[in-house]
Parts: sequence; C-alpha cells; structure tokens
Amino acid sequence: MKLSKKVVLLGHFGVGKTSLFRRFIDDAFSEDYKVTLGVQIKKKVIQLPSGIELSMVIWDTEGHQEIENTRKSYLLGSHAFIYVFDLTRKDTYINLNADIAYLKQHHPKVHIRIIGNKLDKVSEREIKKELKQESIPFDCLTSAKTNKNVSTFFNELAEELTK
Amino acid sequence: MTGLEGKLHFNQKIQFITLSFDGVIIDTDNNLFSWPKNTSIYDAHPFFEIIKGFLENDAITQNEYSFPCIHIEEDNLERICDVSIKIDLKEIVVLLFDYTQKYNELNQIAQQKNESILKSRELQLKNEYLLEKENFKNNFIANINHEIRTPLTGIIGFTEVLEKTKLSFEQEELVRIIKRESNHLGSLIEDMVDISKIEAGQLNIINERFLFLDIVKGFKETYNRIAEEKGIDFEIIVDPNIQEYIIGDKTRVHQILNNVLNNAFKFTDEGKITFSITKNYQRTNKVSINFKITDTGIGILNKDLDEIFKRFTRVEHAKNRPGTGLGLAIVKNLVDTLHGEIKLISEPDKGSTFSINLPFQFDILKTSIPKIKKKKKYKLPSTKKKFKILLVDDEEVNQYLVMKILINHGSFYVDVAISGEQAINYIEKRFYDLVLMDLKLGVMDGYKATHIIRNHYGDKQIADVPIIGFTAKATEIEREKCLKSGMDDFISKPFEQEDLLQKIAKNIQKKTTV
Ligand SMILES: Nc1nc2c(ncn2[C@@H]2O[C@H](COP(=O)(O)OP(=O)(O)O)[C@@H](O)[C@H]2O)c(=O)[nH]1
Ligand SMILES: [Mg+2]
Repeated sequence: MKLSKKVVLLGHFGVGKTSLFRRFIDDAFSEDYKVTLGVQIKKKVIQLPSGIELSMVIWDTEGHQEIENTRKSYLLGSHAFIYVFDLTRKDTYINLNADIAYLKQHHPKVHIRIIGNKLDKVSEREIKKELKQESIPFDCLTSAKTNKNVSTFFNELAEELTK
Repeated sequence: MTGLEGKLHFNQKIQFITLSFDGVIIDTDNNLFSWPKNTSIYDAHPFFEIIKGFLENDAITQNEYSFPCIHIEEDNLERICDVSIKIDLKEIVVLLFDYTQKYNELNQIAQQKNESILKSRELQLKNEYLLEKENFKNNFIANINHEIRTPLTGIIGFTEVLEKTKLSFEQEELVRIIKRESNHLGSLIEDMVDISKIEAGQLNIINERFLFLDIVKGFKETYNRIAEEKGIDFEIIVDPNIQEYIIGDKTRVHQILNNVLNNAFKFTDEGKITFSITKNYQRTNKVSINFKITDTGIGILNKDLDEIFKRFTRVEHAKNRPGTGLGLAIVKNLVDTLHGEIKLISEPDKGSTFSINLPFQFDILKTSIPKIKKKKKYKLPSTKKKFKILLVDDEEVNQYLVMKILINHGSFYVDVAISGEQAINYIEKRFYDLVLMDLKLGVMDGYKATHIIRNHYGDKQIADVPIIGFTAKATEIEREKCLKSGMDDFISKPFEQEDLLQKIAKNIQKKTTV
C-alpha cells in the first residue's frame, strides 16, 4: 500500500528546521546557516515494518516569530506539524504553548509534534529540568548535527500517520 | 483552455499548466520548466501533491489557491515561484510566476538579519559558558585553598622542628631543601588562591594606617641579600615628601611590589635594579604614590607587552626561568582592585621599567605616633658580594652556632680555626674581612693571637683586619682587656643573632670607610 502524507516544519528561524530536513532526507549537515525563504518541499519514501510504504512530503518553511504570520496556504492539507524550537534559545520556545494551542484550534485534525533541537549544545539533564520548570512540553530532543534521535523521530511519526 | 492563455503566452516569467483531475499534464507552455505533456504533475515536483489533497478532501467546487515563494527544482535548476492553483468543474489550471530574482534579493536581507541575531546569541552563549566555567574554577580554587594549606603548614612546621634536632650535615642539607621547596609550593598556592579570589570577586581590601617606610624596610633586607648573591646592584630611593603614616591596604601593596621586585630580580643577571618611590600629587587627604622598578634584565619584546599580565603567560624568552607566570597577573589584578594603574616599558636585552601608581589616604591632623624603639640597624658595605670571616674557636657547639648564623645570612664565607696558631697560619695565607676571636683558647689565647696579628705584619691587610672578641663575661674589665690587646670590639656569650650580625657589619663598615 502506498500513502502520501504532508508534514510541515514550523518554528522560529535558525532553530534547525532545514537542518533536520536535510539530515532526514539527505543525511547531511552543515554548520553554515542559510536562510530559508518561503518553503522548500522534498519527499522521502519510508518503508514501514508493517509493509506500508509512506511517502512523506516535507515542507520546510522559513519559520516565523508569530505563528499567525505563517502563510496559511503552507498549512493547507497537512497531516502533521513538527514544531521545532532551539534548546539554546529561550526566545524560540517562550511562546510555544500559545502557538500549539493556536495550531490545535485551527487545525484540529492535524498531528502535532514538538522537537527541541541542538541537543548537542546543552546538557540533556539540565535542559530537561529547565523545560519542566518552564512547563514546555516536547516529544523529542534532537541534534541535527550529531544525528541524534532524528531518524527515530521521523520513523515514529510515519508509524503514527499510518494508523 | 483558459482565457488567460493568449495574454500570458509570451511572458517568459510565467508558465501555465492545465491538468486533468488525476494530475496528468494536458497542456503547458514550458516557459519555466520542461515538463512533458501527458505525464503526471505529481512526478514533476512533490509540491504538486498538495493538489491531491484538495481533490480528496472536498467535493470539487470551484476554488482558487495561491502559494507564495515556493522553491521548485527541475534537475539542477531552481526557481522560486508564486503558484496559483485554480480548480473548476472541468479542469485544473496551475500558474507559476517566477520571482526568483526578487526573492533572492529578499533572501540577502533576511540572511543578514537572521545571521546577525544567531551570531550574537552564539557569542552570548559562549560568554555565558566561559563565565560559568571561570567562576566555577575560581570558586573551586578559592575554596580548596584551606584544604591544601593545612597539610602544607604541617609539612613546613615539622620540617622546622626537624631542623632543630641533631642532624648530620647531609640530613641538614636535605631538610633545608625540603623546607625551601615547601615554602616555594606554599607561595605558589598563595598566588593561585589570590588570583582566583580576585577573579571570583572575593578579595577584600583592608585599609589600615601604617608607617610607610615599613613597606620598604622588608624589601631592603630581602633583596639586598639576593642582589649580593647575584652580583647585581640594588638601590632604593624614597621621596622624603611622602607622609610618614599613610592609609591603605599594606598587605596588598607589599604583595604587588614584592611580585614586581621578584620578577625584576628573576630576569636580571647583571647590572642594577632601582626601586624608586615618589609622590605624584596630594589632594586634601589623598595622596598618589608612584613606585618605579627599573632593571637591566632581559627585557620584554613589544609584542609580548600585553601578554605579560595574563595568567600563566611566560613569554618565549622567559621560558627557562623558574615560576608559574602568575606573579604579574596578580600584580595587574591587585593594582586594578586598588584602583591604581600599572605601566610597563621594556626593551629586549636592555631591561624593563614597571611604573605603578597607587592611591592612598593620610590623616591630615595626626602626624606621627610615638615610635617603638627601633632595633639597631646594620648594613654591610655594598662593595662586595660576600665577606670572608675567620672564626677562631675550639668549642664545637660555638663553631656550629656561629657558622649557622653567618652562612644562613648569605653574605659570608666562613673559615674555622681551632687555635691561635692555626688562625695566624690562615691569616697569612688568605685575607679576611673580619676575625671572630674566642679569647679562651688552648696554647695561644685570643689576646696573644690578636697581639701578633696587629704587630708582626707589615701588610696592612693583615695587621688591620677587624677583630671581634668572644668573651664569656660581659664585664668592663673584660672589655678593657679586649680593646687593649688590639681588638676592635667584643661580644659576650650567649649572644643574640642580630647583635652578632650588627657588630660584624659595623666593624666591616668602619674598616671600609676609614
Ligand atoms: N550544534 C547544532 N547546530 C545546529 C543544529 N541544527 C541546526 N544547527 C545550526 O543552526 C543554524 C540554523 O539552522 P537551520 O537548519 O538553517 O535553521 P532553520 O532556520 O530553522 O531552518 C545553522 O547554522 C545550523 O548549522 C544542531 O542540532 N546542533
Ligand atoms: Mg530553514
């Protein structure tokens, strides 16, 4: 069986959306920051243990400071949103709860996943403590740089989307 | 076909595509991308899969969607397009507007803006990280200080006790080394603790009123000796206009100057070190004092001048000298803490001058407090590095004691004769700067030996050698007897170390000035 699902990467600029995207699609990483303008779209076919072939179409958006400013059309027809924040920059997760609430309200059927990225730059224990203190929820902490948890995350999401 | 076709056909920046409901390209002008007719648009680029969703979800009604700024690639070509998708009952029309150039211009602006934000955050993080590490380290060192010092105090203390027990010469030498090394370790630890305290902001400034010349006094003794050992000159010049009593952190001032002097002596093998202290200015109850330490040492390269005050800096040509490189970093930090300033002027192979300005206060009303009775001062002439002393004594304990005092002082070579005859024998062969003569000797006593020395030699170097007699009784008769036999002075046993040194210095001095 072949399925196609649209997944959109959201979150402030510079948090590593493009890096996660590149890591997942091409298994590559660059320290160089190159701004994403608008959206770039790539597809990866995931072979699931269940035999299902999932074609994941990932939209890597330019990011936003305020979720409302995300171009509405980019979100059309989505199956999942991945909200990425930067573990080293508090300003990228300070509004996370409000943003998630907004997304849930306007896209009730879409799966939402939250990723804290750049795990390689912080102490996992310390940051978990801090996120807990600040009541910041997350599904996964990743590093696009070291490839930590990246493919696991996308594969689990793929499983989830085929259910 | 849409009515748009005719108008847009010739615009190179726009491509139109008509699709069937299963995504097959029915018609296109290939202005931007060369996707062939009768192939699936879904294979052209994953962006177009969005259309599947539109068709799946809703019953097909007339609808128009527009997507700004979509990156669309074909082979190695990428265009950034605004895309409009129009679905009506008969067909699907896709319009691609190529705005690559416009978006690339925008891209540069966004790139600069975002980059600078990320960069500044990066720097901020780095600083925070370094600061945290630095603070942790400084606190650690400042706190562990006690833990290290306690056992070290034990080592030094017991070494001193051990030193006073009966030891063979070899053991004595070994104990001396242990003591020297432990003291060295101790001062290294002090340095480290100090610098970390300063940097952790734990250093308290304690201002007190003190006799200004006290600062200089200690240096005079310590460094005169080192200067003599190294064979260099050392001069201290103090401006007499400086208040007798001033207020400041005496300990820290001492530490600053001691470190700089130490440094000067370490790097100077010949020539002279001058330590001059002058008053810069005084206002109401404030006085600024300049301390200048000039040496004729190896100097410092211009390029290293800034480095020299950093921690653990050993500039290249200082590498073979002992030390941690902490000294000058402490100096700089302490001077800053005391709100002073330090300048260094240096030339390789010519020497260096450290100039330090420090602020002090003074009491306008009180001038001086009654003086504590000063110990008698002694000063050896600076003509020689070391003075040769002949000790004439047949008592082993006395020999040992006198030798120890003189050798420890560092300015003397000591020969020992155990009889009057032997003493004369030695004096004929070697010139001495002074003779310490015990009076109660075997065959030829001290008076007799002195008499011979004074009267039987034409050589003034022999005949006029200063002689100090050791007597057991401090009586006037004894004194008369000594002076009559031709001695210059006498000292009674038991004597105090300082008295012996003072008498020796006085008589050598007298001799050289005659
Ligand atoms: N150390 C580290 N740097 C990362 C990671 N992910 C992204 N970056 C860097 O963060 C910057 C922004 O990444 P990018 O993927 O362009 O962020 P986007 O704006 O969210 O797409 C780039 O310089 C990346 O190299 C990560 O996991 N670890
Ligand atoms: Mg990006």
